[in-house]
Amino acid sequence: MATSATSMVYIRVIEDVISKVRDEFVNNGPGESVLNELQGIWEMKMIQAGVVCGPIDRSSAPKQPAPGGPITPVHDLNVPYEGTEEYETPTAEILFPPTPLQTPIQTPLPGSTPLPGSTPLPGSTPLPGSTPLPGSTPMTGSTDSSMYNIPTGSSDYPTPANDSGGSTTEAKGGNGRPSSYMPPPPSPWMNPRAPLSVDVNVAYVEGRDEADRGTSHQPLTQDFFMMSSGKRKREDFPAQYHNGGYNIPQQDGAGDATSEIFQLELSQGSDFPDRHDTSTTANREILAHLARSSMKIPQLDGPIPDPYDDVLSTPNIYNYQGVVNEDYNIVNTPAPNDLQASTPAVVTQNEAVEDDDDEPLNENDDDDLDDVDQGEELNTQHLVLAQFDKVTRTKSRWKCALKDGIMHINNKDILFNKATGEFDF
Amino acid sequence: MATFELYRRSTIGMCLTETLDEMVQSGTLTPELAIQVLVQFDKSMTEALETQVKSKVSVKGHLHTYRFCDNVWTFILQDASFKNEECQEHVGRVKIVACDSKLLSQ
Repeated sequence: MATSATSMVYIRVIEDVISKVRDEFVNNGPGESVLNELQGIWEMKMIQAGVVCGPIDRSSAPKQPAPGGPITPVHDLNVPYEGTEEYETPTAEILFPPTPLQTPIQTPLPGSTPLPGSTPLPGSTPLPGSTPLPGSTPMTGSTDSSMYNIPTGSSDYPTPANDSGGSTTEAKGGNGRPSSYMPPPPSPWMNPRAPLSVDVNVAYVEGRDEADRGTSHQPLTQDFFMMSSGKRKREDFPAQYHNGGYNIPQQDGAGDATSEIFQLELSQGSDFPDRHDTSTTANREILAHLARSSMKIPQLDGPIPDPYDDVLSTPNIYNYQGVVNEDYNIVNTPAPNDLQASTPAVVTQNEAVEDDDDEPLNENDDDDLDDVDQGEELNTQHLVLAQFDKVTRTKSRWKCALKDGIMHINNKDILFNKATGEFDF
Repeated sequence: MATFELYRRSTIGMCLTETLDEMVQSGTLTPELAIQVLVQFDKSMTEALETQVKSKVSVKGHLHTYRFCDNVWTFILQDASFKNEECQEHVGRVKIVACDSKLLSQ
């Protein structure tokens, strides 16, 4: 459902955007043909979304270049868009005769005059039918270079025209594809976009994230320092074996104690078959790795913990125990790992724990937010985007003054210059 | 001229974003140019709303959620009714996202 007023504004916005980025496209970019393609696809999507009335679009579009554009070009737009996206259409161009398409293109040509570029090309731009051309030309070239060459080369007017014809034909040839896409899209287009819409607020979301990060970092680190000495780590560690935190110690120690560890593993390996539990063996292997890491780490860490003594008196004890416990690792892997895991943590664990805790915390937060947002957005396909002048509240009664808004309600797009809202909370 | 990216979430903005995404993915457009187009859309859409739209709307409803973060008001209304000169619409649930208009004048 397109309101005529809304449709008109949208069309003007499209034309305004296209005209104002034209210089960029022609001078530094891929050329005007690509710009035409952009406009064609954009307008097609708008029509599919039901926000712009097809006929109005044409009438308005011709208005700028020249009056009286044929209706058919709009359909051409849709087709070329598909064709352009499909790559390597050139064969289709060759196969299909350009002549039938050329005739529709010629009509657009009169409209082309407004364009500063070569007359043939500009003609294509105003008309939707032209859009296929740009896409087709770039597409013929397998790489980007072809794209750039085509747009820039003004001398090649004849070739683009041919291409354009070919492209349109291609579009026809490709109609099968577009047609399949076309019917379903209208409704689907709308729905899928709603979830996608999240991206639009990127700036706003980013700001939020940054703020969260900034605030969260300091407290988290402090907390972790506190936790490093706490019992909780031991409990948590078994579950966290798989986390990356341990990988680091392994790497560090790899050079040091490998021989000893291997021996330990061998002895362990002999035990494993007895129990015949593959899962347990796997776990033990992991534990063995951990043991290695822990064994190695305490050695490396030995000097480091000293500075922490003031803060944490326990770590040294754990370190020594860890060394002693290495024997236990062989027999009872889990318990020693816990102890040792705690010891190496002093230095590395702070990071590891941070990461571990950060992930769940952030994930949970994000999930919660996402769930809420997504839920809201999924449930509320109705959306109002606006600017607020003033928002006031008296007890539970809210009043807000909005302006320059776009409402998407009941599948209708409605624009407003001013809006007043009265809500009770 | 300051602009909001707010309107990119609108139907017209989503259509443009999708189009640009497709063209960037196909290699037809550079991402930089696509962003330039989006920025131009921000400007054009804002300008069009200021200059070409005159209608006025009144909104009433039950405020389910309000949030003010980073100068953006978000309201979620239930049983909201929208009235303008032409028509009246009723929706069970609607989200209003509004940026601070004063930021544009700066």
